[in-house]
Amino acid sequence: MIMDFIGELLKLTVLAGLTVAGILVILIWKKNLATRVTYLRFLIQVAAMVSVFYLFTYPVWQFIVLIVILLLPLVLGRFFCGWLCPFGLYMDAITLIRKGFKVRYRNLPDKLNKFLHKFRYVLLLFFLVVPFILNVIDPPPAESLTLMALVLAGPFDAWRILLGPVIPLIVPWKGPLEISKIYFSYPYVQEVIYYSKLLSIEVFTTIMAWVFVALTIVGSFFLRRVWCRFCPTGSSIAIVNRFRGFKWAPLLHIYKDEVKCTKCGICKRVCPVQVTDVYEQAGGKITTSMCMLCMRCVEMCPYEDCLKVNFGGKTVFKSRNWLEPAKVE
Amino acid sequence: MKNPSEEKKYMLDISQKEIEELRTTIRATSKKMTAEYIERMRKADKNRPEAMRYFDEIADFEKREKELLAAKESGKKVIGYMCLFAPIELILAADAIPVRVNSGWYDASKLGDRVVPVEVCPMVRSTIGAKMIGLSPYLELSDALISGLTCDGMTKLSEILSDYKPVWAMAVPRLKDSTQSLSFWREEMKTLMKQIEALTGNKITRSKLKSAIELTQRATKAFRRLQEIRKGNPVIMGRDAMLVNQAYMWDDIKRWTEKTEALCEALEERARQKSWACSPDTPRVMVTGTPMIWPDNWKVPSIIEEANPQGLLVADELCSSERLLYDPVGVDEWTMDDMLNAIAERYLMASTCPCFTSEDGNKDRVNWILNKVKEWKVNGVIYYVVRGCMLYAMEYMRVKKVLDRMSVPVYYLDTEYTREDVGPLKTRVEAFLEMLTARVDI
Amino acid sequence: MITAGVDLGTQSVKVVILKHGQVLARSKAFSGFDPARAAEQAFGQALRQAGISSSDVLHVTATGSGMDLASNANSTVSMMSADAKAGVYLFPTARTVVDVGAEEARAVKCDDKGVMVDFVVNERCAAGAGTFIEAMARALEVKLEEMGPLSLKAERASSINASCVIFGESDVVSLIHRQEPKPEIARAIFDAMADRISPMMHRLGITPDVVLVGGVAKDVGFVASLKRKLGIELLIPEYPEYAGALGAALVAVNRVKKV
Repeated sequence: MIMDFIGELLKLTVLAGLTVAGILVILIWKKNLATRVTYLRFLIQVAAMVSVFYLFTYPVWQFIVLIVILLLPLVLGRFFCGWLCPFGLYMDAITLIRKGFKVRYRNLPDKLNKFLHKFRYVLLLFFLVVPFILNVIDPPPAESLTLMALVLAGPFDAWRILLGPVIPLIVPWKGPLEISKIYFSYPYVQEVIYYSKLLSIEVFTTIMAWVFVALTIVGSFFLRRVWCRFCPTGSSIAIVNRFRGFKWAPLLHIYKDEVKCTKCGICKRVCPVQVTDVYEQAGGKITTSMCMLCMRCVEMCPYEDCLKVNFGGKTVFKSRNWLEPAKVE
Repeated sequence: MKNPSEEKKYMLDISQKEIEELRTTIRATSKKMTAEYIERMRKADKNRPEAMRYFDEIADFEKREKELLAAKESGKKVIGYMCLFAPIELILAADAIPVRVNSGWYDASKLGDRVVPVEVCPMVRSTIGAKMIGLSPYLELSDALISGLTCDGMTKLSEILSDYKPVWAMAVPRLKDSTQSLSFWREEMKTLMKQIEALTGNKITRSKLKSAIELTQRATKAFRRLQEIRKGNPVIMGRDAMLVNQAYMWDDIKRWTEKTEALCEALEERARQKSWACSPDTPRVMVTGTPMIWPDNWKVPSIIEEANPQGLLVADELCSSERLLYDPVGVDEWTMDDMLNAIAERYLMASTCPCFTSEDGNKDRVNWILNKVKEWKVNGVIYYVVRGCMLYAMEYMRVKKVLDRMSVPVYYLDTEYTREDVGPLKTRVEAFLEMLTARVDI
Repeated sequence: MITAGVDLGTQSVKVVILKHGQVLARSKAFSGFDPARAAEQAFGQALRQAGISSSDVLHVTATGSGMDLASNANSTVSMMSADAKAGVYLFPTARTVVDVGAEEARAVKCDDKGVMVDFVVNERCAAGAGTFIEAMARALEVKLEEMGPLSLKAERASSINASCVIFGESDVVSLIHRQEPKPEIARAIFDAMADRISPMMHRLGITPDVVLVGGVAKDVGFVASLKRKLGIELLIPEYPEYAGALGAALVAVNRVKKV
């Protein structure tokens, strides 16, 4: 048992080491942090998806992953959403395909976008409460409750929806679609099936699952990062960012230098989730709970040092005159 | 297109003989004056880079006029523009040639007085005068004009010029920050695109627009490189840099980019050799306000850099110089739609024209001036306004208050399109520069 | 140490000779058509007055609109700097110096050492300067010196347009046609001038104490009007018209010390 655990730990260390090595290779290759964050982000997203697949091999990890996702924003803001989330990767991939077809994207009206943003907190609250409702409807043996919560089983199975966006395309468990012993899944599909069953509309479960898949694929073809505007997981502790008193809490922030900004509007246009605060706010800390820190705005801002990404007070990345090639150190 | 036999709405009839006479005399005076300006620029800096020679040559309009004539004969169209709101990329993508047609001729402004009152901005009057006698080769050769309806002068100028040529007016929303402004402006862009396509007969395709954007991006890159060099110790006089910037308004963009890159190369080498254009202690001055247009209206930069004590122009916030090209078109995705949006945003949002306002006033311009003062280590700001330029004149107090808070001296220098006031101007500029040097001997 | 300051103004040339910071001699000559000669004349006169020869003068600094014409000047200084220097020399508490001359009016802000920190100049129109009073005195058929005392007799003020000398004159003529009493018209003229100068000073920011120099400062009528408009006391030196020359001479002292 203990040996198994050590074995797992070793494998994880190797995985983490590989990821770090990959990042370093990219950094050395590019010679400068400031070039093309987008590529780096893709690499990290893929690495993250692989690690998630690996972690999901053991059910006990699911709950830990969930806790980590929910707590990460405390430290990093919504860094997870922009850089690690597998669903984000799928949507970004679809965006790449769209770019290949030279098809334009659409935008949601700003008001609707902001409403959806607030609506996510309602969704989050709802999904957090569901297990307790189920508990009342169908009370399970009380003594096993804590353990069930730990493995996301029994009534706590409903919490699994918060892991929805993290689901890899190939799952290590019995997924909804099987092709020659490989189980395929898609974010939220299992949850759609689960909830359909709860509501006793079993007949349509598969159809509903397919409809969901189709909707998100088509949606993210036209709207960049469409699910990120609904996703309750992402909103979780980003709640903290919403309140002025807690804005200091996360270590990762985007800063704007008011004087250097000419309000050219590029930051607003390139933002995949249509955050307007970067453009609208005068200066200072401009991270909001809507921002998923993908840093596209910082990358595209054409003014030296106008936008900066600070991690615990240290600038890790800043905007620059991207017309010039990056300086080689 | 209008019928030529139609009666002119504004312009007065003027005999062909008078036109010829006026044009010859004004051209001759202007030629003498510009030759003198260039001579003085050469003298001001003993080790003036050889690469500047190209810009001295292109400063003579005749050279470019011949090229434009040849291009027109080969079927190309020339599209003139008056304000910086005209999307150069769209013109280039339709295989047309963009030129800016604002006039700097002093004497032409007196002719403009026949059509509009003297209280009107002299640049507008001068452009009217230039059109009256066919003085500006660019204005004459353009097949159509794009006019951004920014200030009152520009709005009516476009109306007056429509007596001669098709003028495509683009209504510039005075509030930048609202969503409806931007969507309106995008529509204006699309309309303009159709007009350009109709005139040139060339369709603006995705790949053409992309290469046009890449062309101006390269120009912006060279331009920003030059401004970056000016942040350090002086290796180029401000007038020279201003001439380089301004040449972009009529030169072939590709060639301009190459020549500017070459100049930057020479200047960087010069900085390594520490051969300064003037003493590094020379007070660093920035000008902001009304555009100063080559050929004639060059007196203020000349006065500043030839004054005793001497000043050095390190930066400006003029739509005839640094506002031209500093902002790149930032394209996120190379789709037609996003490129058009990027162009629309670059021309509207990044502009710091005083015709804009917001809840907080024209804060973008104030911020941009502050940024320039900090980045280019400016010791003093000269706020240059010609009589009749309401927007700049009225915004002065706002700028002064902000600069006062930073204890950066600013001086309001008002003048006209005339050579006669050089004496009093010089006295004032010298007093200002004396103040900047805060010399111990006073 | 003996230094001199020459102020080549638009109407007259003023010379001040300083010895150890004390004024040794003052002299004045009309500029006329040949300001350079006028300057030489005034300089020679001042030398005779002081009883010294030109070789005794260590440094001559010229100022004023014709400063480049002074052949014997060792250096030049702007009028604004000279005004600031003289203002603080005459009244150590002075922080704003207003100079109203024949053709130009200017206001200078300075620090405690007499170094200028900001300045404004009236915009090319003579309505804010001495020439205006001269033209108006002509219209009223009054001697220039009598204008001031006359205006003080006024009980109330008429008003005229202050935008320009020419329009001002036609306004005065219409007041004459309306048979307004002369003192009131005279006062209106000074008020109009003060109306030109006070907004300019407000734009600069008025920091007390304010010193008024220049030829027009000798006119009691104008001083009264400007005081009324600004609502503050004005310090006026004994020889206000020599302030520019005095400032130049003071600058010359510093330049000698530097060498």
